[in-house]
Amino acid sequence: MSQFVTIFYALAVACYAVGALALFAYFLWRAPWQSMLGIPFAIAGLVAQAGAIASEALATGWSPTSNLYDSLSLFVAFTVLLFLIFARQYRLWYLGGFVLLIGDFFLGYAGTWNEGYRPLVPSLQSYWLAIHVPTVVASYAAFMLAFCTSALYLIKYYLERSHAGGLELRSVGLQPATAVPGSGTMAMAALVADRTGHTVQDETPGLALAAAQGDKIAQWLMGIPSLAKLDVITYRIIAVGLPLLSLGIIMGAMWAKEAWGAYWQWDPKETAALFCWIIYLAYMHLHTRNQWRGVRCSWISVVGFAAVIFCYLGVNIWISGLHSYKV
Amino acid sequence: MATAAETERRSPVQALSAEFVDTFGNVLFAVSLLVVWGIMTLIGVLVDQGKDTSTYFNEYPPQLARAILRLGLDHIYHSYEYVGVIGLILTSIGVCTFKRVIPARLPPLRPVVVDKIPLHAFIEARGSEEEVKSRLERFLVKSGWQIRRKVFNGVEWTFADKHNWARRGVLVAHLGFVIIAAGTTLYWWKGYSGEVAILSGQTVEIPQNGDRLTVHSFNYTIKPTPTRGGLVYQPVDYVSDLTATSPGGAATHYLLRVNHPLEFDGIAYYQASYGYGVTFRLTQAGRPVAGVPSGPILEGDAFPVGPTGRSIQYTQFVGTIDPRAPSGIGADPRPFNPGVIVTVFDGSQPLGQEIVPLGRVAELGGGYALEPVSYRLYSGIQYRHDPGIPLVGLGALVLVAGVCVSFYLLPARLFVRLEGEGERWTVGLAAQTPKGYTMFEEQFAKLVVALQRSEEATAS
Repeated sequence: MSQFVTIFYALAVACYAVGALALFAYFLWRAPWQSMLGIPFAIAGLVAQAGAIASEALATGWSPTSNLYDSLSLFVAFTVLLFLIFARQYRLWYLGGFVLLIGDFFLGYAGTWNEGYRPLVPSLQSYWLAIHVPTVVASYAAFMLAFCTSALYLIKYYLERSHAGGLELRSVGLQPATAVPGSGTMAMAALVADRTGHTVQDETPGLALAAAQGDKIAQWLMGIPSLAKLDVITYRIIAVGLPLLSLGIIMGAMWAKEAWGAYWQWDPKETAALFCWIIYLAYMHLHTRNQWRGVRCSWISVVGFAAVIFCYLGVNIWISGLHSYKV
Repeated sequence: MATAAETERRSPVQALSAEFVDTFGNVLFAVSLLVVWGIMTLIGVLVDQGKDTSTYFNEYPPQLARAILRLGLDHIYHSYEYVGVIGLILTSIGVCTFKRVIPARLPPLRPVVVDKIPLHAFIEARGSEEEVKSRLERFLVKSGWQIRRKVFNGVEWTFADKHNWARRGVLVAHLGFVIIAAGTTLYWWKGYSGEVAILSGQTVEIPQNGDRLTVHSFNYTIKPTPTRGGLVYQPVDYVSDLTATSPGGAATHYLLRVNHPLEFDGIAYYQASYGYGVTFRLTQAGRPVAGVPSGPILEGDAFPVGPTGRSIQYTQFVGTIDPRAPSGIGADPRPFNPGVIVTVFDGSQPLGQEIVPLGRVAELGGGYALEPVSYRLYSGIQYRHDPGIPLVGLGALVLVAGVCVSFYLLPARLFVRLEGEGERWTVGLAAQTPKGYTMFEEQFAKLVVALQRSEEATAS
């Protein structure tokens, strides 16, 4: 069975690499055939990964989530799955290059931690293994996707700022009509425009002007959703990740109560997960305020993902504790 | 906000109370508290918690180690500051709940200038005014909206609400957090926990409730497993065969395993660890030295070397002594060629360590000879009485439910007005939500498109 895992794993790495290239090309040039090529490869990679994970589960007889190789592999699969769902909903295919490239990197890195099959240590011999780990890893995947949309927001925002010159810059979401005179029809304009593949031009006037004057980068940036839309997409992705992380922490506490005698042990992994939860909780609170939506919340999302990576890899690899199941 | 005149009329207590409510009811203040909580939590992740003083001086530069110890960063999660920040967050949650969450309402039922609201649309409709209205209302009801009609200055407006109750989601989430805190406090107040090491065949009494645990035997299974990195000795099972007896005489026999705790007499017992108890013999000039325990002692325990002021600590059990390994300790933890690592102390100063094979005699000088005679397995069993668990579980459930409601169900209000005459009408439609316009953009777009299609279908 292990040769199937190896074959599926290699196939997934290859498919994601091709998909990343095609979707990167789509990110830059927006030729429809590029996305038509990239999307099937992303799906094929995901199917291959599902094959690898299923083969491993069949070979070992337990949920393939017991070590860093397994969980990183699952992390990549969830990231691609969430990307496909959100991309279909919000036409985010141009993000696929970033998502698949980062996913492929993590999948390659996961391979370096693959030590082969080992029986489970007693504390991992629980049905929670198949519930707690995938839930937490799925939340990490959502935060990675949110990181990508936030990064795109920040790229567009700062390029707009460099292009804006004397023009007024509105960095955050749509403002109420009373606050922004003349924007009364903006929202419907956005709705209509989104269906035709354009964006709200008066949100990023500098880029719109530069695009009209033939600036290639500005033209390209005008082709991605408005800042307001990117902000809402990021919010929606984090609104998937945060409940998953909350559930994951709660399930982890329930498991800890069974295995270690207390639902909370102040273990570095637990507290690092709590740290991530606090960051995204702050994001959600600040997103309720107009002044904090947009660029500030995007930065919090970026910081949040850095914290997630620290919690996921840094704590596992460098800090010893009850969760030290590296291999 | 109070006016200047109102402020002047306030007593100092009222002014202080208003200041308190303003500060603790501010979202940015709440987020600032979250930031402080996050930073303190991160410090606890980065700095080892609850270790000996010497550990910090070994791991960090002396200045940093001193700073860690002076600031109490070595036990940050149980410091007054950490608990205090959580207390302030709970206070902020309470104030925000009454100041912001409960009063949060959808905008009032009133006439609006439809095209001044960012989320608006105009849709052409055919038919008499009443036909159009009832068709529109049927459509909205079918889409899950609750309809109300009101007349203002002779003009009839239709208002439609969706998920109005969901604005309580934040309240529910906050409540969940408070319940969790209450459950945790209940443990601090009424709960207790501890760990006992019980040698095979030994009975130990739990000090807090008088339960007696007898471990008949302890067994483990370690499986040698070939991996790409070499042979690994993987533990796969720990099991204590025990009997628990309450002070009243009720008893239960149980095979205690990791992940399968025993719930008995209001306490949960857990298989936590295991080790080897070792019996030592210390002689001087062939005669036994007084002060050496006659039975097995556990790892970390020590005994004096006669009147010399020195002591011997049983530091670690070695399953397989392997002279080929650099440390002398083989990879296999099972006792095939067992021995012990002992450390000799002069007062509190360690003088040196040595591996002594079981059944062999190590000469300590001054005529003293140490022999680790035999070993016996012991089981490390944790116990915990936590009356707060049901509350913590309930709080977690309430928290997640509140988070899901507040994230996924968006309360919204539609303002609908018909303009026109005869058989030609324009439906003016505007939407507002407590979470801003962008959050409702997609749903509004879908609603408008569906309504347009419905009207086009009626017209055709």
